[in-house]
Amino acid sequence: MKLYPTIGLEIHAELLTESKVFCTCSAQFGGEPNSRCCPVCSGLPGTLPVLNRKAVEYIIKAGYIMNCEISRFTKWDRKNYFYPDLPKAYQISQMPRPVCLGGHVDIVSEGEEKTIRINRIHLEEDAGKLVHDDTERVSLADYNRCGIPLIEIVTEPDFHSAADVVAFFEKIRLMLQYAGVCDGKLEQGSMRCDVNISLAEKGSDKLGTRTEVKNLNSTRAIQRAIEYEIYRQTELIENGERVIQETLHFNDATGETSSLRSKEDAHDYRYFPDPDIPPIVFTEEELEAIRADIPEMPQARRERYINEYKISPADAAVLTDTKQISDFFEDTIKVYNNPKPIATFIVVELMRRINLGELDMDNMPFTAADFARLIELAETGKISKDNRKVILREMADSGKSPDTVADEQDLWIKEDNELLEKTVNDVLAANPKAVEQYRSGETKVFGFLMGQCNKILRGAASPAAVKEMLEAKLKGI
Amino acid sequence: MNLKEQTLDTLRGLLDTKKISAPELCGEYIKRIKEINPEVLGYITVTEDEAMKSAEQAQKLIDSGEAKPLTGIPLAIKDNICTDGIKTTCASKMLEDFVPPYDACVIEKLKAEGYVILGKTSMDEFAMGGSTQTSTFAKTKNPYDLTRVPGGSSGGSAAVVSAGIAPAALGSDTGGSIRQPSSFCGVTGIKPTYGRVSRYGLIAFASSLDQIGPIANSARDCGTLLNVIAGKDSRDATSSTKPAEDFNAKIGQSIEGMKIALPKEFYSDSTDDEVKTSVLAAAKKYEEMGAQLVDCSISSLKYAVAAYYLVSSAEAASNLSRFDGIKYGLRGEGRTFDEMIRDSRTRGFGDEVKRRILLGNYALSSGYYDAYYLKALALKQQIIKEYDEVFQKADIILTPTAPTVAYKIGEQETDPVKMYLADICTVTVNIASLPAISTTCGYSANNMPIGMSLIGRKFDEATLIQAADAFEAGFEKRPNNI
Amino acid sequence: MDIKTIEHLCNLSKLNYTDEGKQKVMAEMSEIINLMDTVKEFDVVYDDTKDNNSISYAEVREDKAKPSFPTEKLLSNTKPSDNCYVVPKMVD
Repeated sequence: MKLYPTIGLEIHAELLTESKVFCTCSAQFGGEPNSRCCPVCSGLPGTLPVLNRKAVEYIIKAGYIMNCEISRFTKWDRKNYFYPDLPKAYQISQMPRPVCLGGHVDIVSEGEEKTIRINRIHLEEDAGKLVHDDTERVSLADYNRCGIPLIEIVTEPDFHSAADVVAFFEKIRLMLQYAGVCDGKLEQGSMRCDVNISLAEKGSDKLGTRTEVKNLNSTRAIQRAIEYEIYRQTELIENGERVIQETLHFNDATGETSSLRSKEDAHDYRYFPDPDIPPIVFTEEELEAIRADIPEMPQARRERYINEYKISPADAAVLTDTKQISDFFEDTIKVYNNPKPIATFIVVELMRRINLGELDMDNMPFTAADFARLIELAETGKISKDNRKVILREMADSGKSPDTVADEQDLWIKEDNELLEKTVNDVLAANPKAVEQYRSGETKVFGFLMGQCNKILRGAASPAAVKEMLEAKLKGI
Repeated sequence: MNLKEQTLDTLRGLLDTKKISAPELCGEYIKRIKEINPEVLGYITVTEDEAMKSAEQAQKLIDSGEAKPLTGIPLAIKDNICTDGIKTTCASKMLEDFVPPYDACVIEKLKAEGYVILGKTSMDEFAMGGSTQTSTFAKTKNPYDLTRVPGGSSGGSAAVVSAGIAPAALGSDTGGSIRQPSSFCGVTGIKPTYGRVSRYGLIAFASSLDQIGPIANSARDCGTLLNVIAGKDSRDATSSTKPAEDFNAKIGQSIEGMKIALPKEFYSDSTDDEVKTSVLAAAKKYEEMGAQLVDCSISSLKYAVAAYYLVSSAEAASNLSRFDGIKYGLRGEGRTFDEMIRDSRTRGFGDEVKRRILLGNYALSSGYYDAYYLKALALKQQIIKEYDEVFQKADIILTPTAPTVAYKIGEQETDPVKMYLADICTVTVNIASLPAISTTCGYSANNMPIGMSLIGRKFDEATLIQAADAFEAGFEKRPNNI
Repeated sequence: MDIKTIEHLCNLSKLNYTDEGKQKVMAEMSEIINLMDTVKEFDVVYDDTKDNNSISYAEVREDKAKPSFPTEKLLSNTKPSDNCYVVPKMVD
């Protein structure tokens, strides 16, 4: 008996609006406890929610990039349950009339192309945060996150492995980032994933009992939770035990799932239309304008890089896999239109600095214009290719412009024949043995001698000039 | 100075001509409140210090010639309208110590006028009721007969105006809560069109039905107040973008040719004969003034009370869920969150509020939602349709405000079903989002006021005020003896 | 309206009743539900697109953040700890 997993997802993504979805407080992450709050998002009596247009625009964009149908008529509902992170004791969400219905996203998982169907996407508000104080036997509620706009993406159960899920999650994360809808910062909880898993015999049209693992907030956690749950359910079934339909929590430390106590014992959310929020009717023109405003998606960008800029598919993939990198590349070529060397230097050198933790894309110490200038200096022979790296490192440390660094460290290539000739003469005089070897036909020492010259010149002459002078001197002697 | 039956126009005149200063006027009211309120119990909180302070500021505006229509005018505010720094209790133990940190939109507007707040008036707990006898702090009496109820839920606001311990007041109306107590206490009250006045800062009972409105001694005074409090508010998405207008602009215009509809269902056997006779006599008066009476029918009226209680209780159950003792309000005890909030709510809410919450959750719970809640919404659409049809052939509708005059305390307010049925004349107006004004049209044999209601087209408050004023002009009011 | 329904409603409503109170409220609720049952006679289906209370997309609030409320004032009706609301410990 081969058991086959069937998986569906509910992904929550926080939207990048300036203000919260139902009040004018800042929607930024963090802040001192209850400092990004007002009577509305703190649920004071008498206050009313007022919907944010940008949040509506963003969910429509999310819908379009996932090929959804956008409802011409949409409205909001109250989901009623008591929990201390929910000050109104209801979450404003959408039930029968979500903004987006029925879409699909194509993914490549383990070398295979698959289509994942989207059931719906709706707009709702995030809840607050609870901090547990063990010594006082109390929990502390901070409502800063209350009212941050969220979209909930509900997929059909079209996944059959952790790899499928990860491929999908990464793909929509990137698309949402490109659309400017969600920052995709998993460490800040910008995207969270609930996973529904059931096992059944392959080919059987009967689905097994499903469990739901809640609130997975990293790709790794998603992968591990799914793998663990498949293992756990398989063990149960093979031992003749039953899988219980329940909500589970994934413990990052142990890598295991455990039963989560339900939020509302009765589990009856009593959804009903929120009388404080008028439904919205969209015109075709409004929807078309929003659709037209969606920025280029990663796939399209990648193809443009390959076709227009003749960048290798591998480099194009690296550039577009992170929106900030791709945006940085775009900004750079706007200043210095020479995509190929820029792409190569980003992929080889800038990415290395970022991966080493020396640079943080969120806090770049230099501008794309400075970076463009750096490449231009190297490409036009003003500095040596090697010194490009030296200057980049200094730019990363100090934020100084490439010209300043080149001035300060004297890294300009100089058309100074006197200096070059003197250096070559000095090197030849200091290495008579190597000169002897070269003469007797061991030409490979040429590289050593070049190196000796460059060491002294430190980029002050171009490699071609050094080579020419050195060859001339060696032949002349 | 006699404070009974004072109109805002008279007071404005006295203040502007310096016959009396704002602090003096305020002092007169405070003095009378101290005398009368212990009997009438209209106020939960009297804000003497706040009143004197704002009266002094108002006087400066008057002295510098910057007086606006309500500058220096003392007013009473229903205790479900949030006032920054002033206790706002909803007459509930739950909010006994609740001091809002912000002002309702209407309060901001009144403050911008330089009004003087006399205090916060009693009401049925969380505005659920028609007698003000479910108030935890002040079971208000009817100034015409202290053994009778003042009506409700804005019973405090109606009673203080009727007793002359405020020249006018703000109330709120979800199913008749401005009009019915106005009728019982012999004053005039208007429920504006849904969306006309911002609900921001009104502690919600049923969000799709709630509306703040004025209670005063005349239709004109209601218009004066409405002129100030109406208008779009960016903090209430359901507030209308309809531009503000002068609601008193049509006062004095002839009502010749105005078509007044009398829906027969409102004049059925369930309405007291005395009430019917008096309202029909008023209709006759209108006819004499040149209006044309039109027969009509609102046939779904028989379902209206049930539809109203289903919708309003469903919304209330959700609206009142936020009272858990954590952020504000009575904080219960308990080892767990569940125990604690159950204790808070069990001790904080009174019996009627609890019944409404239970009913609301019943109507919304799975298995009942379609049969009750959605059916009530379907009825709402039907009632709107029927009103639309009536307004095809009539300009306004005339009905009794309540099937009876004010009844004796203890007579029926303990029987929920009886109480609910008594809302029959008022609830459809809220369901259909229409404006309606109630004014006194007669007195019963035992000298209790009888109220009639004029219902208008959406956003046509001006016509209601015009028609009510036309009637008031020829009607002799009998003041009470308080 | 039976005792099980009342208990379910009490759970949804977070209200406690004594046994005696439960009996009383059950009787009251039965009568109230009887009155509510009149809507069942009315044979029309609700169509949410015909409510006529919708607004256009352009009328929806512009996304502009404003300064938040002073934390201390916001928490003035409770006894906070570290500027947070205090609740009995929630078990995860």
